Amino acid sequence: MTARRHIGKATPRPDGPDKAAGRALYIHDLARPGMLYGKVKFSEHAHARIRSIDTAAAERVRGVRAVLTARNTPELRFGFLRDNLVLKRDKVRQFRDEVAAVAAVDPEAAAEAVDRIRVEYEPLAGVFTPEEALRDGAPLVHEADPQGRPRRDNRVPLRFHHESGDLAAAERASRHVVEGTFSTPRIQQGCMGTAGCIAEFDRRGHLTIWAKTQIPFLAQRDFTRFLADLGLGERDVRVIVPTLGGAFGSGLDTHAYEYLAILLAWKAGRAVKIVYTREEEFACLSPRQCTVTRIAQGCDAEGRLTFRRVDVLQDNGAYTSWGATYPSVMMVPVTSLYRVPAVHFDAQIVYTNNTYCQAMRGYGNPEVNWAIESNLDDLAHAAGIDPLEVRLRNCNEPGEVTPMGLKVGTCGLRECLERTAARLDWPARRAGPSKPVAGVGTGKRRGLGLASLCHVGGSGRIYRSDASGVVLRLDDFGFVHAHYGGVEMGQGLHSVLTLAVAEALGVRPEKVIVGPTDTAHCPWDVGTHASRGAFMACTAVLRAADELRRRIFELARAAYPAEAEAALARHRRRDPEYRPPDFDVAEAARSGTFELQDGFLFLREAPPEPWLRVELARFLRAVHFREGGEMLSAESFVDPPTQLPDFERGFGNLSAAYAYGTQGAEVEVDEETGEVRVLRLVAVHDVGAVLNPQTLAGQMYGALAQGLGYALYEEVLSERGRILNPDFRDYKLPTAHELGMPIELEFVEPDEPAGPFGAKGVGESGLVPTAPAIANAIHDAVGVRLYDLPLRPERVLEALRKRRV
Amino acid sequence: MTRAAAGVPRCAPRGKRGAVATSGFAYHRPTTLREAWRLLAEHPGAALLAGGTDLLVRIRARELQPSAVVSLRSIPELAGAAAERGGGLRLGAATPVADLLRRATVVRRYPLLAQALRVMASPQIRNVATLGGNLCNASPCADTAPPLLAYEARVELRSARGRRELPLEEFFRGPGTTARRASEILTAVRLPAPPPGARVLFHKQRRVHLDLALASVAVLLRLQGTTCRRARLAAGSVGPTPLRLRAVERFLEGRILTEEVAVEAGRLAATAVSPITDLRSTADWRRRIVEVRVRRALVELAGLERAGGAP
Ligand SMILES: Cc1cc2nc3c(=O)[nH]c(=O)nc-3n(C[C@H](O)[C@H](O)[C@H](O)COP(=O)(O)OP(=O)(O)OC[C@H]3O[C@@H](n4cnc5c(N)ncnc54)[C@H](O)[C@@H]3O)c2cc1C
Repeated sequence: MTARRHIGKATPRPDGPDKAAGRALYIHDLARPGMLYGKVKFSEHAHARIRSIDTAAAERVRGVRAVLTARNTPELRFGFLRDNLVLKRDKVRQFRDEVAAVAAVDPEAAAEAVDRIRVEYEPLAGVFTPEEALRDGAPLVHEADPQGRPRRDNRVPLRFHHESGDLAAAERASRHVVEGTFSTPRIQQGCMGTAGCIAEFDRRGHLTIWAKTQIPFLAQRDFTRFLADLGLGERDVRVIVPTLGGAFGSGLDTHAYEYLAILLAWKAGRAVKIVYTREEEFACLSPRQCTVTRIAQGCDAEGRLTFRRVDVLQDNGAYTSWGATYPSVMMVPVTSLYRVPAVHFDAQIVYTNNTYCQAMRGYGNPEVNWAIESNLDDLAHAAGIDPLEVRLRNCNEPGEVTPMGLKVGTCGLRECLERTAARLDWPARRAGPSKPVAGVGTGKRRGLGLASLCHVGGSGRIYRSDASGVVLRLDDFGFVHAHYGGVEMGQGLHSVLTLAVAEALGVRPEKVIVGPTDTAHCPWDVGTHASRGAFMACTAVLRAADELRRRIFELARAAYPAEAEAALARHRRRDPEYRPPDFDVAEAARSGTFELQDGFLFLREAPPEPWLRVELARFLRAVHFREGGEMLSAESFVDPPTQLPDFERGFGNLSAAYAYGTQGAEVEVDEETGEVRVLRLVAVHDVGAVLNPQTLAGQMYGALAQGLGYALYEEVLSERGRILNPDFRDYKLPTAHELGMPIELEFVEPDEPAGPFGAKGVGESGLVPTAPAIANAIHDAVGVRLYDLPLRPERVLEALRKRRV
Repeated sequence: MTRAAAGVPRCAPRGKRGAVATSGFAYHRPTTLREAWRLLAEHPGAALLAGGTDLLVRIRARELQPSAVVSLRSIPELAGAAAERGGGLRLGAATPVADLLRRATVVRRYPLLAQALRVMASPQIRNVATLGGNLCNASPCADTAPPLLAYEARVELRSARGRRELPLEEFFRGPGTTARRASEILTAVRLPAPPPGARVLFHKQRRVHLDLALASVAVLLRLQGTTCRRARLAAGSVGPTPLRLRAVERFLEGRILTEEVAVEAGRLAATAVSPITDLRSTADWRRRIVEVRVRRALVELAGLERAGGAP
């Protein structure tokens, strides 16, 4: 293969200028003629029977055009298990339950109307932890399943289980066994752009919805079904995705507010926009799942892992989203991070009257990684072996098949571990006891920690189809228009899409225009999740570009000579002295090999004369504007070689490639206050191959920042189901200041054969091992093991106090 | 100078008969104190607006629904800083924080206040938030309060009927409540001349950089050799109001500052405060922070860590 011209080179992203200049159009900026503003009335109880809803006062507010409740709307179900109702009828199961919705001519009138809706409730006892919910006789969140069959308990009917090896024997044979129970909080995706949509029907009853989604086509399916349930069969649904201000998993489901906007638009006959305020985003959109993980790991005298036992309890909240299937991804690290001969994994997902949870970057992986990597350090200590050494001894190797049946292709984990350790100066620094820091603020100690990850890196089949496609269309001016069904949500998808087209087709990146994501123009796509965007987009582009090149070269046999002759004539007019070399263009075009590079078409065998390099735009016009003319486009649709695992048995090759990585942290712990300062972060990731170093670094920095927030600061606090900190005043994200430490990135590039240009998907990797790396560094510094995220100073101090007694 | 509502606009006067309009408020922007007092008298439910960074948050959250909002932003008497006889400084109540930080008199002569102003909110908020608003809002976590308490500032309140002055300590009555009467406007904060040669340190304990104080301490020391001649300490977010730590001051004044004294002062400070547990932190931890931060401030200000190992 010839040297790459674009892939692998730091290139500014195409969406950068408009975003930086404030010109990109987010849902917040969009309006339709005559558009109304929708607003939702949310429940004021975590669990209560709805006695009555009085909307009379709301209807009298000036400017109100529609008021909906379950009383004037059919029962409409939605959600991953269809256990959620668009408008709640008999009871509310969480604070944010939708009991009514209003559309009005301006947002103020809508807010006023919502305020004037009176709902009478009869409060019911609730369940607010999975443990509470599993107790005998606990109040039922759902008395019946969506089919109306009575339910006996609060278990969510989703099974995730894995057993491999002889666990009991392995446990008995272990020299060292260490157990622990680790918890992770609900955290908020923290998108800069809050959630919102605009729904509009045309006069034929077809629906267009501008939606903040990561799954335009699954959303289209959901909305189509919804319209059918409403009695509006055979209607077209078009989903258009505006510029997104972040999604991080929050766009993997369709949401009640979208269905309400559709209903209001239908009822009012006008476009309806619903956009959440920041407080609504916090209190009424689903946060990350909240988990408790019981883990035990064992090893032999040499530190080789003998078994791993992991039981996860997941607080689902009141309804079920796609995010409930976190355990499908948890299985990946549980069975396959480091070599473990015997594994037990089980997940129990439980309904509670808390806010229902959904997906977020990492999708279950950070939750169990927190347990595995923290506990592994403890196991290393128990065995008296350096934690780095333990990891190296159990390191995954290229080509292995793991207990879950994951077919590991390339695997750079060993190199990631070694390079991280080298950067941290690990052997020298870890020798000897932890190091007090001199000077003011005594009682400060420093420590080093590291943790690794393994994640899907070649898409991930969690749905019947795992496909993506792209349409590449060439216009008369040499521009390539790319239509891809996945979503740019800030991660840089359009950047790699652009580079991939430029590289694979042979044009300059400036000539690639990525169109908006719109179900009317883009091929079907399962969604932008599982770090699959770049992986699938580039794979699809390679195929479509190949097809285009083939067609261009085919046409060139006949059309190229005339274009070259014309170019020669132009050249001669400029330079009458010019004598062309002795080269039979027509003959060469018949039998030679064509090449397209940087937007010029030429023959490989031809002498390097400029006129023999025909501009693609001229060539395209030549084949278009003639009798029997032709315009060129190609479409590819790729379903990757991934397997939908049998999740009840925990077996199947979920992804076409696997991403690995190791992260290190150096921290300073104030033993008097429990404050933790991260002095340095190192991240070495196996990315297969670097596509665009700039966007890759952006993804890594962003993921590390989120990981830091998860580790130290972030938590959606709630009390009996009510969210206490629905704002940035008390929900703390790390600021630029908290990210002031050096963050060192390095990439291992084993050139993954399954990946486009050798690349793996790495959109989530950076978040996954950040928290355990920090916690392990804290342990190194002050000798305490922390089990619950976030590592707030109060908690650290508490642990330090216990250590003393 | 009365304009139609801002903030929450009224909705278009159209619609069904008997329809109710969206609630809003009238917005007034007087240019003299006299006019402001008149408006306050005319609109009993009126709220005063300075920078609006507390007020508008509360209105938007519907915690407050004032019938009228009276802006203090165009009243010249309320802005700026002026030297006073005797070496003091008078700060107009509606002066934005960023403006104060640009004034050499504030930054050089009242560095403890400047330290607090610099860690208050964000640059955008500091451009509009005012000193008077911070004090009148009377949050226990108001960042300007501990340093002003340590400087023994006084507040000037004026109404149509007259003028009165109070020590800042007496101004705070509880969370969100002050000695200000509804008819009064806080016009100025008056700072006495700073003690010469004072060493100062403000510490704000935060979760992340942009945050309200979980606990804060302001320490002002004047030393003669190693003897503490004057100590002024105050703490924020550890009681119903910002607190002056008089017991610690009494303990320190006249003593030779040693490690042991610093340790004891920290302990005393911890017993002098009455923090609560809320979603931001716990009472225990806040008390610990006061203890550690007072001790460390004394150690640092007295240069004890250079002399030998610090406690
Ligand atoms: C993002 C953000 C971050 C913040 N961070 C901090 C922080 O770090 N530290 C901190 O201390 N605060 C912080 N605050 C709170 C706020 O900015 C400060 O309290 C600020 O000083 C308030 O001043 P203001 O002029 O905006 O007050 P306003 O909101 O205008 O008024 C506050 C209250 O005081 C009354 N009032 C104002 N001026 C007068 C007067 N002259 N006479 C009588 N009554 C008056 C008003 O009626 C109102 O009740 C933050 C606020 C925001 C929005």
